[in-house]
Amino acid sequence: MAPLLEVKNFHYYYGNIHVVKDVNLYVNEGEMVTLIGANGAGKTTTLRTISGLTDAAGVRGEITFAGHRIDKMPGNKVAGLGLAQVLEGRHVFSKLTVQENLMVGAYLRKDTAKIKDDLKNIYQQFPRLLERKDQLAGTLSGGEQQMLAIGRALIGRPKMILLDEPSLGLAPIIVREIFESIKEINKQGTTILFVEQNAKVALATAHRGYVFAVGEVVMQDECYKLAENQEVKKAYLGEQ
Amino acid sequence: MTMFMQVFVSGLVIGCVYGLIALGYSLIYKASGMMSFVQGDLLTVGAFLGYTFYGLWKIPVAISFVMVFILMVLLGFGIERGIINRLVKKKTLPIYIVLATIAVSYILQNGAMYIWGSNMLTFPRLFSANSIKIFGVGVQPEALFCIVVSLIAMVILHIFMKYTKYGTAMRAASMDPMAARSCGINVSVSTGLTWGIAAAMASLAGMLIGPVYGVFTTLGATIGRKGFSSAVMGGYGNMYGAIVGGIILGLMETFTSGYISSAYKDLFAYIILLLFLFVKPTGIFNERAIME
Repeated sequence: MAPLLEVKNFHYYYGNIHVVKDVNLYVNEGEMVTLIGANGAGKTTTLRTISGLTDAAGVRGEITFAGHRIDKMPGNKVAGLGLAQVLEGRHVFSKLTVQENLMVGAYLRKDTAKIKDDLKNIYQQFPRLLERKDQLAGTLSGGEQQMLAIGRALIGRPKMILLDEPSLGLAPIIVREIFESIKEINKQGTTILFVEQNAKVALATAHRGYVFAVGEVVMQDECYKLAENQEVKKAYLGEQ
Repeated sequence: MTMFMQVFVSGLVIGCVYGLIALGYSLIYKASGMMSFVQGDLLTVGAFLGYTFYGLWKIPVAISFVMVFILMVLLGFGIERGIINRLVKKKTLPIYIVLATIAVSYILQNGAMYIWGSNMLTFPRLFSANSIKIFGVGVQPEALFCIVVSLIAMVILHIFMKYTKYGTAMRAASMDPMAARSCGINVSVSTGLTWGIAAAMASLAGMLIGPVYGVFTTLGATIGRKGFSSAVMGGYGNMYGAIVGGIILGLMETFTSGYISSAYKDLFAYIILLLFLFVKPTGIFNERAIME
């Protein structure tokens, strides 16, 4: 069976600057895959291009999702195919309430009756959001905002969720909590691709991983194998 | 007492008109992060269209209003899609885009003169009664109509923005376009629609003030500037601030004219604007006004 998401010979140019060079990757249905690597290695650009959030003029190569070519498709249409993204830095709508944020996440859904059930499930999964449902999202803590951003992606019932740096700026205990929920979401059948600078957590969570360096994929393997790789250990896990 | 009531009512009339215009400034600022000088002239165009449908073609007033409203949504949408958005896409600096809105403003003003001529036209009366008594004071029914319809329009806009799916989506799109896109919102359409609603609000103001002030090509020019001051007073970008700022400015102006001198009402209005910029740039509703 063809992978749910496939990126082939992907390049990205910001004007004349060649920031992503010939990236190839795939994610099968039900899988959880991570992209690790240093800052500025092209991970975020790759993720955002998949979601149709970069300038299409800079995109070269072929991206397919669930049988559709999406490399030049605008973001709102990509979302309509069932591909959601939790953006780096969370990007909650700061002057909307928590509940309004979640409802915007359900913008494309037509089955109004079922949205209410899903809302309940999300509040069950993140009880702190229920406590704060009428509060403006901008007043939440970083961890709560991350939960809200994940909830907002989930409520659209996507086939696949992309997450960009879910651990960014969060305390270790919250990071653990967030990754537990990500695992849970994957277990319930949603395919996941996430970018993470915290390679240790990433490799302990995902099934497969790609290592990015200066705009290229330099390694790819099952996560447990990557975690044992000498180079990965030295460069990304801080071990000797 | 009689004079007080008369001044009060005319203050509310013009204040509501400023409020409708100021609402447009605030919506546009939130959605596109810039100011549009076209607001005032959209009021003029709305008044002329209303005059044409209702006064010349004798179409019933409610239908005329709806027709103007729809046409103006399209005009506002077209200005954003056809001019503003194209400049934004070319990465033009915001100040040049604001200049482009000044160009559009004069094109509309002069274009209106080309179509409707340079004489002041009389917008036909909406009601047969010459005046109705309120607290023993005779008031022109068109004036009351202006106040009531403006307030209803503001309440409807509030309900739309706050409680409907599309209004919430529009607010989301203006807060964070990228996140909105990733939720499936078509941000381009949303931004264009915001300009359309701003234009429709302005045209509504034009049709409401037309029967009171008459219709002429520079009708909206002064009102547009006052609406801008109102938006600043209320807190630029805040919908509720726009309405409150407009009504306060309207009342201040008519009370100055009524009890001091009508010669100095503009002086007063713009001194207040400067005072707000220096003393309370965030306006009554505390919108962010200082660079961080």
